[in-house]
Amino acid sequence: MERKAAVASLAVIAAYFALAGFIHIAEAFDWQIGPTLWRQQAGESYSPPGADNIFGTDIFGQSVLRKTLYGAKISITVALLASLISIAIGVPLGAIGGYFRGFVDEIIVWIYSTLSSVPYILLILAFAVVLRDRSIFGHKLTGITAVYLAIGLTSWVGICRLIRGEVIKHKNREYILAAISYGCSRRRIIFRHLLPNVFHLVIIDFSLRFVSFIHAEVILSFLGLGEANRPSWGAMINDARTELSRGVWWQMAAATAAIFVISLALNIFGDALRDSFDPKLRTRVERGS
Amino acid sequence: MSDNGALLSVKDLSVHFFTSEGIVRAVQGVGFSIKRGQTFALVGESGCGKSTTAISIMRLLPKPQGKIVGGQIIFEGQNLLSLSERRMRRIRGNRIAMIFQEQTTSLNPVYTIGNQIAEAIKLHQKTGGKEAWAAAVETLQKAGIPDPAWRAWQYPYELSGGMQQRAMIAMAVSCRPALLIADEPTTALDVTIQAQILELLDEIQKQIEMSILLITHNLAIVAERAERVAVMYASRIVEIADAKRIFAEPLHPYTRGLVESLPRMGFPGKRLHTIPGAVPAQLHLTTGCKFHPRCSIGGRDKRCQTTEPELKEIKPGRWVACWYAPEYKTS
Repeated sequence: MERKAAVASLAVIAAYFALAGFIHIAEAFDWQIGPTLWRQQAGESYSPPGADNIFGTDIFGQSVLRKTLYGAKISITVALLASLISIAIGVPLGAIGGYFRGFVDEIIVWIYSTLSSVPYILLILAFAVVLRDRSIFGHKLTGITAVYLAIGLTSWVGICRLIRGEVIKHKNREYILAAISYGCSRRRIIFRHLLPNVFHLVIIDFSLRFVSFIHAEVILSFLGLGEANRPSWGAMINDARTELSRGVWWQMAAATAAIFVISLALNIFGDALRDSFDPKLRTRVERGS
Repeated sequence: MSDNGALLSVKDLSVHFFTSEGIVRAVQGVGFSIKRGQTFALVGESGCGKSTTAISIMRLLPKPQGKIVGGQIIFEGQNLLSLSERRMRRIRGNRIAMIFQEQTTSLNPVYTIGNQIAEAIKLHQKTGGKEAWAAAVETLQKAGIPDPAWRAWQYPYELSGGMQQRAMIAMAVSCRPALLIADEPTTALDVTIQAQILELLDEIQKQIEMSILLITHNLAIVAERAERVAVMYASRIVEIADAKRIFAEPLHPYTRGLVESLPRMGFPGKRLHTIPGAVPAQLHLTTGCKFHPRCSIGGRDKRCQTTEPELKEIKPGRWVACWYAPEYKTS
């Protein structure tokens, strides 16, 4: 039963990723199909879900279905980029701190302790607002860039802690001593010997953390900090603030459903991954031969 | 002790561990020398400091706590303690190699054994990937692993204990080191495999004229394989002699106790000899000779209780640290 749930979840996740990828390609080649046509008028303003528009339309008469599908592109892309940034920061810092200990480690721990003691949402908000209209190397930061940068730069603490703990455990193992005994430099030990042995944590953390990145993006979009001219789930939920009083529930329902499904799938899959990687963390013991 | 062509000459080595509970003087004033191609055994009970001595030669002590506080380690004419870490790295695995007790945990689980051996080769011999791999397979063959070309693609968990030990030996000798430090190489193996591994080390030693520093508490393998023996007790060396002489004529009371404790065939029903008492905890060592509380000769002797006997060469090649050893001159 667990197996089936995990596989089903993987399928759902793959579907979302495929959708996001498809929209990227479609926009690059300027294909006019499905989600990329979200701007098109599909019906009367605020028409409820019906035969021609499964999820109804928004204030501009745009298809909610198309907007929801398009939102996948933004959410998945942002979460992916934010993940990559946070891994790129958290893993090396964790490995270096865990291996060298002493002063270097103290600095790293101090940095991430301070960072993690600020309420997450406020922190991301602060970064997003500050990054919003800046330029890096002459390249202007768009709304969406600010979003994934903000999330990435603040969310590396969890993986950093995990990697650091595991490196501390592993660095006294005999195979590391053996590797030093045949002449490996410290850099080699960290990157060639230790990291491959702790990397499974990154994979598990990635799958579980992806959800929170999607949520973070939704929240930022809801607060108006995301991409201004594109539909995203957060923006749709934001619209619902005024819509609900008029009895227009379908935009909020669609966005929420989309978020719910991917979150559930990621959680189930992440748990399954964790169970298969580290038997010690299993919640249910399997017996029998 | 003079060098006269010795490969390794340890002089007055002292190693301390600085722990939160106090300073542990794990090794004090240890000195011995090993010639080229010689098998030198360092014996003693658990906790006497023999493994610490071995690790100190390679300068592999755990960083903040362990420190070499005195002495010299002259290897091939250089004092290893004065080398920079960079130059020390060029010696590790290349001129001096080490094999460890627990073979299962000494191999990196995520790399194939061929890969690991090739890494050691690449580090020291500046060869390319293919050459290093071929050399790795060749070394595996020398280590007695059947079908080495195929085995090289296997991961450590796919090998049996004996095979893993052979793989580790292969990794250690891949660069033809002049000295191999074997820290309890057979303790974790069954008896039949033990014999094979010792045979293997013997063969390799002859092939590449390698010296072996054999750390062990198993006197049987010392008797069989070693040429010179040093006995350690509570962080000090108490006796050094040729293997044959030390069993025939142990001079230090502790050595005598060890030799007499060996079970002997042909005396059914006879009680086994033991040395009364236990090895002192590192932090609470007594004054005077460290062995005196358990010594039948010096137990109540004033001198043994107050003054530590130095390790002296009473005959060429014969060293002892005991006030009551024959010909031990109190000069």
